[in-house]
Amino acid sequence: MRLKFKPFESNKMFHLNLSLFSKTKSLENKIDLFHDKLLDAAMTFKKAVRVFLDEGRSENYKKLSKQVKQIEHDADNLRRDIENNLYTQNLIPDLRADVLHLVENLDKVINKFDEVTYMFYIEKPEIDQNYHIRINELCDLSAECAENMAKASRAFFRDLSSVRDYSQKVYFIEHESDLSADNLRKAIFDSELPLANKLQLSNFINEIANIGDIAEDFIDELLIFTIKRDI
Amino acid sequence: MDLSFLLFLSSGLFLGWSLGASDASNIFGTAVGTKMVKFRTAAVISSVFIIIGAVYAGSGTSQTLGHLGSINTLPGAFMSALAAALTIYWMVELSMPISTSQAIVGAIVGWNFFAGKPTDVSILSQIVSTWVVCPILSGLIAVFLYWLVRVIIRKSHTHLLRQDTYTRVGLIVAGAFGAYALGANNIANVMGVFVASSPLQSVSFGFGITLSGTQVLFLIGGIAISVGVATYSRKVMNTIGNSIMKMSPLMAWVVVVSQALVLFLFASQNLKHFLISYGLPSLPLVPVSSSQAVIGAVMGIGLARGGKSLHWDLIGKISISWVTTPIIAAGVCYISLFFLQNVFGQVVFLP
Repeated sequence: MRLKFKPFESNKMFHLNLSLFSKTKSLENKIDLFHDKLLDAAMTFKKAVRVFLDEGRSENYKKLSKQVKQIEHDADNLRRDIENNLYTQNLIPDLRADVLHLVENLDKVINKFDEVTYMFYIEKPEIDQNYHIRINELCDLSAECAENMAKASRAFFRDLSSVRDYSQKVYFIEHESDLSADNLRKAIFDSELPLANKLQLSNFINEIANIGDIAEDFIDELLIFTIKRDI
Repeated sequence: MDLSFLLFLSSGLFLGWSLGASDASNIFGTAVGTKMVKFRTAAVISSVFIIIGAVYAGSGTSQTLGHLGSINTLPGAFMSALAAALTIYWMVELSMPISTSQAIVGAIVGWNFFAGKPTDVSILSQIVSTWVVCPILSGLIAVFLYWLVRVIIRKSHTHLLRQDTYTRVGLIVAGAFGAYALGANNIANVMGVFVASSPLQSVSFGFGITLSGTQVLFLIGGIAISVGVATYSRKVMNTIGNSIMKMSPLMAWVVVVSQALVLFLFASQNLKHFLISYGLPSLPLVPVSSSQAVIGAVMGIGLARGGKSLHWDLIGKISISWVTTPIIAAGVCYISLFFLQNVFGQVVFLP
């Protein structure tokens, strides 16, 4: 005789569990996806600047620039979704304002990546070969700041003890990025380039270094929110 | 049920109403104030579980109050409950952390004095000692729970949103337990003085459910508390949640469970019998103050977090209330009984 096993009780439990967490599960995924977008934006930005320095406003660059724009657009949609869900489902009422603030500041960095990539596309700055390595270095540092900012923010949702580790990295890298930007600016203004070029390049450097500054401000707030989030 | 009985019971019902209005906020205050739980959900759960606790497990603490002083006429019980209610009103006006338990014990002692009945000092000292033990025990339980929850959260890496759902469920379950414990422990404050003089008979509801006369009395008291919850506790809950004690929902959970456990420990006859059967020390069944248990728990957590949260002014106020509340209630009860007996010609005690 074959026994037919009907896991009725466990099924019931499963359904209860599923309905209880289905709403939050979908929002958890969106928040994760939003952080992924920031990481994607940082990596694509790095690649795009490298391509621009090597090839100028080539087809490759246009493709990468569009890619950053698309990431920014997707991130905006996700941000709106997250904000709407948090309010309509009345989730984390005590921390909702903090989380919304975090999400908006993360979005600011993604916007900045898009803005700078588009600036390269529109302004087509002429950059001397001598500065390529240092500009790449500055872009790498800014992207690394944003990546660690995304990791710290992700940790805020799941693993509070890691927030501090990633935050420390952001502070360190942002300082390095400031030094790198200062050296680059000094080198540009010490050069024989026309003033218009100097000012244009300086503006680009400011915009790239600004990514690290936004990340630093974000971390300052995140650490306060972490204290609030800890029981 | 005769009308004079309801008239005399009114002071107890008023006491029950005020208990529901103020003490339900100790259970669901932060949950409602921080919008984690809707007021309607909190009110329904509180009301149902307070009534279940009162009817099913309220007799233990009532017996202890009965041993302290068995008020044997309805007018006497009426005035004792009214004296307790007036004392509470006055203490609230003075912004003192009030306890219905302390007021009713004082009123019973006042009745004992007036009736010339002896007050069992051993029972009285047992009751008084629980007032001191209650916030301390609540604080210790809160510290233990606080560390436990903290370790679990840090190790489990639960997502903030999932933690939010767990906390909501936890607050509702803890609230239900807290309401049950409040009903079981504090129904004695509301209806305890009427037990000896109540004319109520046992009632059968069918399906094998029969309530004794005392349980029917507790059911009425439980309903009075529930009415207090439904009609007036919303304002208090919002105040608790937003201004007086700013707590995270998780901290609120720890506080509610600590408070509920303390009230349960001082109310559960089953637990007492279980401990005694294993030769373990048991706690006396005494109505204790849920507000003071909450204050103990909040201070315990404050200490565990390494903060300077020993509010000496609040501790001072509580200590003063341990002495002043029963003395004032006893005095008010004595004087009121005199008037009730000599001006209104009521029999306030039987020799």
